[in-house]
Amino acid sequence: MFAALYIRDFSVVAVLRGRQEFAGLPCAILATAKKNAAEEKSPLAAINQAARQRGLAVGWPLNRALVRCPELRVLPRDPAAEAALLAECIELAESLTPDVEVTAADGLILDFCCPSAQVRAALDSLELPAVELWHAQAATPDLAYLAARHASTQGRSIVSKDLAAVPLDFLDCIRIGHHFTALKLLETWGMKTLGDFMALPRQALTERLGLGVGHWHDLLHGKTCRLLRLHRPPECLTQRVTFEEPLTALEPLIFSLKRLLHTLSGRLAARHLAASFIELRLLLETGGEVPRRIHFPEPQSTVEGMLGPLQTWLDSLKIRAAVSGLELDAETSFAVAAQREWFGRQLPQPERWAETLAKLEALLGPDRVGIPVPVQTHAPDSFHLSPAAGLAQTQQAAAMPLPACTLPLQRYRPPLAIAVAHEVRDGHPLPLALLTGPHPGQVLAARGPFPASGTWWQPTDAWQRLEWDIQIASHHLLRLVLEKPDRWKLEGIYQ
Amino acid sequence: MREKFPQAHQAHGVREEVGVEIPERGVAFTPEAFPLGAISEVVAIGPVSGLGLWVAGLLGEPERGSLHPEFIWIDGADAFDPASFSALACSRLLWVRCRAVVEMFKAADLLARDGNVPFLLLDTTRLPRKELLSFPAAGWWRLKQTVETHGGRLVVMAAFPLVPCAKQRWQLTADLSLQDFDKTREELREKLIMIPEKFHRAN
Repeated sequence: MFAALYIRDFSVVAVLRGRQEFAGLPCAILATAKKNAAEEKSPLAAINQAARQRGLAVGWPLNRALVRCPELRVLPRDPAAEAALLAECIELAESLTPDVEVTAADGLILDFCCPSAQVRAALDSLELPAVELWHAQAATPDLAYLAARHASTQGRSIVSKDLAAVPLDFLDCIRIGHHFTALKLLETWGMKTLGDFMALPRQALTERLGLGVGHWHDLLHGKTCRLLRLHRPPECLTQRVTFEEPLTALEPLIFSLKRLLHTLSGRLAARHLAASFIELRLLLETGGEVPRRIHFPEPQSTVEGMLGPLQTWLDSLKIRAAVSGLELDAETSFAVAAQREWFGRQLPQPERWAETLAKLEALLGPDRVGIPVPVQTHAPDSFHLSPAAGLAQTQQAAAMPLPACTLPLQRYRPPLAIAVAHEVRDGHPLPLALLTGPHPGQVLAARGPFPASGTWWQPTDAWQRLEWDIQIASHHLLRLVLEKPDRWKLEGIYQ
Repeated sequence: MREKFPQAHQAHGVREEVGVEIPERGVAFTPEAFPLGAISEVVAIGPVSGLGLWVAGLLGEPERGSLHPEFIWIDGADAFDPASFSALACSRLLWVRCRAVVEMFKAADLLARDGNVPFLLLDTTRLPRKELLSFPAAGWWRLKQTVETHGGRLVVMAAFPLVPCAKQRWQLTADLSLQDFDKTREELREKLIMIPEKFHRAN
């Protein structure tokens, strides 16, 4: 036996629950307007009971609804409130049975393997404040779900023939194949209720409208009983340790960390999972915390594989306060069990690679090691470093433009401020000689100026500059930049 | 003297400078051109040596990005410009941004020991000559031993002959000027000259 729960007017109720000023007023939520469509013609996606009492119905265009009911309040959707309401409903359902399927945002199916009178009584007494909660029971999950959504069948334990009076368009909530086309066709055939549809021969329906419609037929006659896609709360692998005495030495810290990793490794092994990255937080005695996230090139589930990079980081860490606690969390993924590719390069020792990267970061500091990714901007020296641990964004990389200059540049970071002798020709400055800097000398030839500017819509971040490629007397090729108002800089050298 | 008074030496040809009479035009654009388990050296000769072009040729123009880095660029002076290379070429490269000679050597040692990425490029061209020469030669020999043990390829890019234990040394030069900016990279690569140096001593 299965039961279904349905929250009537779900999206409106979710918004109105937190807003008492709209109590008793007709309210509606609009469906997402199509591009270039006027909002006044957008259909109503959901309405509350007060609006229904004034004769409005879901699907009406807004302008028509406002003619019928001028005091109608149109509210925006609130996804957070909807999620909260659904979470409450799931919690309520889980008080009856642990096997719950979230079939839709506004509907759940509950599996009662052996329903007792107590459970049925509890189902009748389910309630959420300010929410109209309908329920129904049936031998199959989809029959229960359909029954819970209609006023004439809700609150009952039904069999197939009880659905005969339900309008045909209720099948729309069971989305199978080209359901919309098939429904329209059935309506043109004169079908109005599920009873009309159930009376048709299945074989002839399948031949004319396909297997999906045949499946509807089986479903309404209670011939199919599918497995539920059970809702499971997200698994939490977070562990936290608070020390009685704050730690100032590395060894006890590593010892505690190993204990946490052993527990984590056991939990991962029990779920046949591995950690793609781990996040460690050192909770300091002063109240602050030092967070660190470490990505693994390949998912790890062993203590040794996870401990190495963390230990390297802790070895190089300098903090000003004692550590009063540890918090460890992990993001899970499936362990790599596939055979290695013949034609793709793999890392021979991924666990060692993660440790080497951690050592490099300890040596050079953060943001000094990674795969360079040019970004889509004209701002000078713009790039970001993506983690070297197996997270290359190759699809984005393919869409990036090719370099503008044929000769690669070697940059001065930061650019060197220099003095330049110049004259103004045709309203533009023309460099004549570099007076200071590592390459002083006469400018023999110049290409430019190439003007560039950006972020002009933000006065504080706006930038504007002129660039030249120049060749000086020593035959070095350089990139020279003039930043407004009068700052000459040597940006790089072409080697 | 050459660094202090570059114009005084300008009249002499590059080829004369390095003491090689007949240049060989074969330019090594594949990692396999460099010996495995050894240090090679590419010395940039002249004001515009074409070192960037050579690196661009080495990275190539792949059609697909790489999931794992295939080259490691240990950048001694943090001078690499990602905007000068295509994003797909950059995806083959792990960039290690160093600020000093000591950092560069430590990073090279770590990566040579790791052995996951077997081709290391060590860029010393923009580091001060004095700082580079003050680094003890024993450090190079130790690095050579590490590379030999772990079986990678280490190519040092330098502005002057630097590595005392390089198994192979190439001198790279190109006669490039501002007019060449209008040409494609393929055309410019034709102008690169890579001359192998013949050693008269045993390594």
